[in-house]
Parts: sequence; structure tokens; C-alpha cells
Amino acid sequence: MEIGLLALSAAIAVGLPCLATGWAQSRIGAAAAASLAEKPELSTTAIIMLAIPETMAILGFVVGVLIILRGGA
Amino acid sequence: MIVRMSKIRILGPRDRLADVLQVLQDLGVLHLSSPRLEPPLLSLELTPSQQRLRRNLRRILSDLDTIDLTLRLPSPLLSEHEHPVLAQVARWARLAGRVRRMTAGLASRAAALEEEQALLLKYRQLFAGLEPLLTAQAAHRHGRAYHLVLRPEQQEGLRLLRQELAGFLGEAFELREHRLPGGEIAVFLLVPAAAAARTERLLAAGRVQDIPLPGPYRGRSLAEAIPDMAARLRAIPEELNQIRQDRERLTRAHAAELARARAGTSDYLRRLEALPFSSVSRRAFVLEGWLPATWRPRLARELATRVGDTVVVEEVEREEWKGDDTPVILSNPRLFRPFELVVRQLPLPRYGSLDPTPFVAVFFPMFFGLMLGDVGYGAVLAVLGLVLHARSKPGTALRSVAEIAGPCAAFTMIFGALYGELFGDLGRRWLGLRPLGFDREEAIVPFLGLAVALGLVHVLLGLSLGVASALRGGHPRAALGRGLTGLMIGLVVAALLASFEVLPRALLTPSVIALLVAFPILILAEGIVAPIELLSTIGNILSYARIMALGVASVMLAIVANRLAGALGSALVGAVFALLFHLVNFALGLFSPTIHALRLHYVEFFGKFYSPGGAQYRPLARWTPPLPPTSTS
Repeated sequence: MEIGLLALSAAIAVGLPCLATGWAQSRIGAAAAASLAEKPELSTTAIIMLAIPETMAILGFVVGVLIILRGGA
Repeated sequence: MIVRMSKIRILGPRDRLADVLQVLQDLGVLHLSSPRLEPPLLSLELTPSQQRLRRNLRRILSDLDTIDLTLRLPSPLLSEHEHPVLAQVARWARLAGRVRRMTAGLASRAAALEEEQALLLKYRQLFAGLEPLLTAQAAHRHGRAYHLVLRPEQQEGLRLLRQELAGFLGEAFELREHRLPGGEIAVFLLVPAAAAARTERLLAAGRVQDIPLPGPYRGRSLAEAIPDMAARLRAIPEELNQIRQDRERLTRAHAAELARARAGTSDYLRRLEALPFSSVSRRAFVLEGWLPATWRPRLARELATRVGDTVVVEEVEREEWKGDDTPVILSNPRLFRPFELVVRQLPLPRYGSLDPTPFVAVFFPMFFGLMLGDVGYGAVLAVLGLVLHARSKPGTALRSVAEIAGPCAAFTMIFGALYGELFGDLGRRWLGLRPLGFDREEAIVPFLGLAVALGLVHVLLGLSLGVASALRGGHPRAALGRGLTGLMIGLVVAALLASFEVLPRALLTPSVIALLVAFPILILAEGIVAPIELLSTIGNILSYARIMALGVASVMLAIVANRLAGALGSALVGAVFALLFHLVNFALGLFSPTIHALRLHYVEFFGKFYSPGGAQYRPLARWTPPLPPTSTS
């Protein structure tokens, strides 16, 4: 039971930020694609902008790992 | 490093301005600045005849660009093109106009022939299917013939069509069908001319259309057109070959001269366009511009030798010019130079600020290696880098990428050895490889600690550079703010480590007290946004956890590849599967660490000190062949 709850907590810790990241990247990606059509020289900036929301997913992953490891699962 | 620039002022008699510009163009180092307009100096406007000349020169260059698309003009060596006189430019204009018209004619003929060839090829298969059906048309010259193509599913419609025709024509029609290789049905239908209108209504109701013949053959019978179309199709390649030979003849006859014309005309135009950068009085001119400080004596010498001592070069005092519009040249040691490509993806740093290239050259490959960290992948990357190096030209962006791949591969192999990884856990299972540092598959928390610690060092380094940059730019308050932010970050880390007893617990109270003292000073120095900035800096440090996250993901994927391959029954299928999976992981391993290492630099590191907005260095120089984006300029 406890292991199940730990796994569920870790999954939520990773899953929710990933959803948020996906949503943010969809908005940024659409705007970046529109910008690149007019100014291809912005490609580096666009890629960097797209990588910014990934911080949420990565920190979620770190929290998930810590939940699993600290919980002894 | 940003090259130290000098701003110089050149003064001389107005009638020597053209000679001075010619010397400056030959040296190719002076970036001209906007003219100085103080009485009695006025800006030098182009006269109507000069404006006309400028338009003509631009037209010649436009003609030459068009010709270059077809004839591929060579690039003359600098010594091969001299400064042309006006008469020579006029000759070049006539030649360029004539050759452009000839190449345009050849190009449009070739395009028309290729279009015709494509159209005939499209029809060829179709008509080849109809050819066996055409004998009936030859026998009934007064009938009306239809050539139809039906989709495979319209087979039933064909039966109904036959039935309907038999209903009102009896046996007075001919309908033959032939199945094409693609499954469609070619249909030849011949009816008496009097029944044409009713037949067409019938076809329209069944949504079947007659195939139109290509333009030049319209109005002729298919039986007559098909042999002609085949003959034409055979003739077109010969005509295209003739056009190619004509082009080669043109290239042999004129390319060398046109290449000289492009260089000479371009030089002439640049000098003409440089005229408005000078300010003039009735008898004198003044030119100002920037050049690398080391070039100043040589420029003065060249002017004195080639124009005479009536022209004076003086240095403008540093206090008289701002750094904002000063052009920026990045110059770094050979080892660091490829990494200028990373810096150049952003606007150039302002003159007087710091060039981050040396720091990027150290940290970028290190972060990349930490994330990918595999001896096998590192070796593959090194081979890829060598191939790219061999296939790229010096000075191009591709060459810089190849040179960046080298240190990245080296760090990947070093960290691979520390983690004991060779294509994931294959090295351990087959070669008994052991981690020299730690096993990142198991030691996730220490790896996280290492990543965040590196982030701390990197961000603190950024803040230190920010302090230095602010002090150099004469902003002591900003320097104090950045210094205090760095100090507070250090104190927060010390307090955290003391509370977890990594550092002696006695350090906790002094750290907290120091934090409480530093906090109001920070707000006084930086304003109310300072706490937010501080929190965002802590967030920046935590962001380096991505090094661990991507590293763990990379090794896990490699291990999954190996294990799944082992789990498959056949050794051959397993090996192919593992190879494919490793290939995907390697591609991901190149892309993700690059993007995230870039992001850590651009957002977390540069954000602490980087001051963009430097002007591009564009000296008045002679024409050189255009290169792909360079890493050095």
C-alpha cells in the first residue's frame, strides 16, 4: 500500500509538471513557428525559449526521484 | 576577448578624398562612422551624376548576380582585380547586360523544354495504354472519338455506359477498353458525329471526362498526335544538351572577365557609398571611424606613403566617443575560437563589456560530457567530428561545429570513464568496466548534488563577472547589488549545508545573521525587485539539476537498449535492435545536451553579466567571395 502511494506521489510529481510544460511549449512553439516564418535568424532564440519550460518537468522529475529514493521504494 | 579599438579622424584636402578612400579600402580595416557635422563642416551628399552612377553600378551587380546563378562565376584573387576606371566599368556594364540577356534566354528555353518534357512524360503512359485502341478511329474518320480514363472502381459505370449507348445507337458505336499498369481503365469511344451531343451528356452525367491533349496537339486526332509526341520526347534531351553546351561556351568566353567585373564594380560602389560618411568644408574633408588599435600606426603610414603628408590621421580621445556604437571584434585563442559560434547566436556583446567565449569553451563541453557521459558515444562523436572537419571549409560555421565536437567528445569519454559506461552497461557486462567516480544508475542523489554544485559555481562565476563588468562600465551600484546577491547565495548554501551537518553546525547561526544583515543592504542597493532577483538566482542554480536528469535518462535508455536486445530470441535480431536503439539514443544524446547546455549558458550564466548590443564590425574593404556564416570575422 505504502509503496503504491509513493509511486503514485512520484507519478503526480512528474506528471503534472510535464503537462504544464507541454502546454507552455505548445504556446511557445506556435509563436516560435510564426516568428521563424518571418525571421529565420531567430531559430536559436526559439529553441532556447522552447527549452525554458522544461525546467518544470526536470524539477518534477527530480522531486519524483527523491520521493522514490527517500521513501525507500 | 573583445579587441581594443581606436577611433581615428582623418583630415585632408577635399580633392584627395577619393584617393584616401581607395587606400582605406585596400587596407580594409576602417569601420566608418557617421559624419561629424560641426560648422563649417557639412555632410557630403552624392551629386545627381554620382547617384546615377550608383544606380548603374547596382544594376551591373544585379545582372552579375543573375549571371552567377547560371554560369557560376569564379572568385578572382585580390591581386587580380585592380581599381577600375569609369570607362572599364562602362565596358563591364555592356558585357554584363549582353551576357545576362543571353543566359536569361537560355534559361527560359531550358525551362520551357523541361516543362514540355515533364508534360509529355506525364501523358506518355496514358497514351501508351490508348495506342492499341486507335485503329478503329483511323477506320471511321467521320465519327467523333473520345479518349477516357476511368478509375478501377468505375468498371461498373463502363458496363452501364455500354448499355446506354446500345439503347440509342444500336450497334453504331465502337467502345474498346484497355487496362493500364496502375489499374485504371483506358477507354476509346467512337460514335457517329450526329450522336456526339447526346453522348457528351451521357458522359457528363456519369462524371467521366475526355482526356485533353497537351496544348500544341489540341485539335488533332489522338492517332496523329501520339507518334508526334513520342518523336518530340526523343528530341528534347538533345535540345537541352545543346543549351548546356551554349552555357559552357559562354562560361569559357566570359566568366573570368565577369568575375573581375563583379569584384571591380563592387569595390567601386563601396567607395561611392562611403562618400556620404565624410563631412566636408569648401577645401577639406574629415572622415572618422574605428579600427583595431594595433592597426592605427600602419594605416597612418600607408596614407602618408600613398597619398602624401597633406592627409593627417589623429586619434579621437576615448572620452569623446561612447562604447554603444563602437563595432565589436571577438578575438580568442585558437582553442577557444570555435566557441565564438555559440556566442554569436546572440547579439554581440557591447564594446567595453566582457566576451564570454573562454568561459563557454570550458563549461559547454563539460556540461555536454556530464550529460552524455559514455565512452562509446564519445568515441562515435569524435569520429563524426573528424568526418565533419574533413568535409568542411575553414572559417565556416560547419568547421566550428566540427571543432566544438572535439572537446565535447573528449569530455563525454572522460565522464564515461568516471561513470564506467560504454554504450550503457555493455562495457560492464562484456569488458568488466568499473566506474572510476560513481555509478549514475545507482548514485542518483550524489549526481544531483554534483549537478547543483556545478550550477552554484557557474552562477557565482556569472555574478562575479557581472560585478567586474558593472565596475568596468562605471556602475558601482549594480556591481554592489550583484556582489551582494552572490554573497547571499553563498550564505544560503552555507546555512543549508550547516543545517544538514555537511558543514560544522556552528556555521549556521553566523550564516543566518550575515544573511539578515546583507538583505536590507541588497534592497537598498538594488531596490524592491532584489528579493525576486535573489529567488530567481536560486531557481537558476536548481535549474542545473537538468544535467542529472538528462544524464540519468541517457544512461537508462542505453541500458534499456541492451536489456531488450538480450531479451529477444535471435542474436542477430537482438544485435540489430540494440544498434537501432543506441542510434536513437545517440541522436537524442547529441540534441538534448546541446540544447540544455546552451540554455544553461544563455539563460542562467549570461543573464548575470552579458551585455548585448555590440555593433557588427563592417570595415570599408574590397570585395571578397561570400562565405557561409563564419565563426571568425
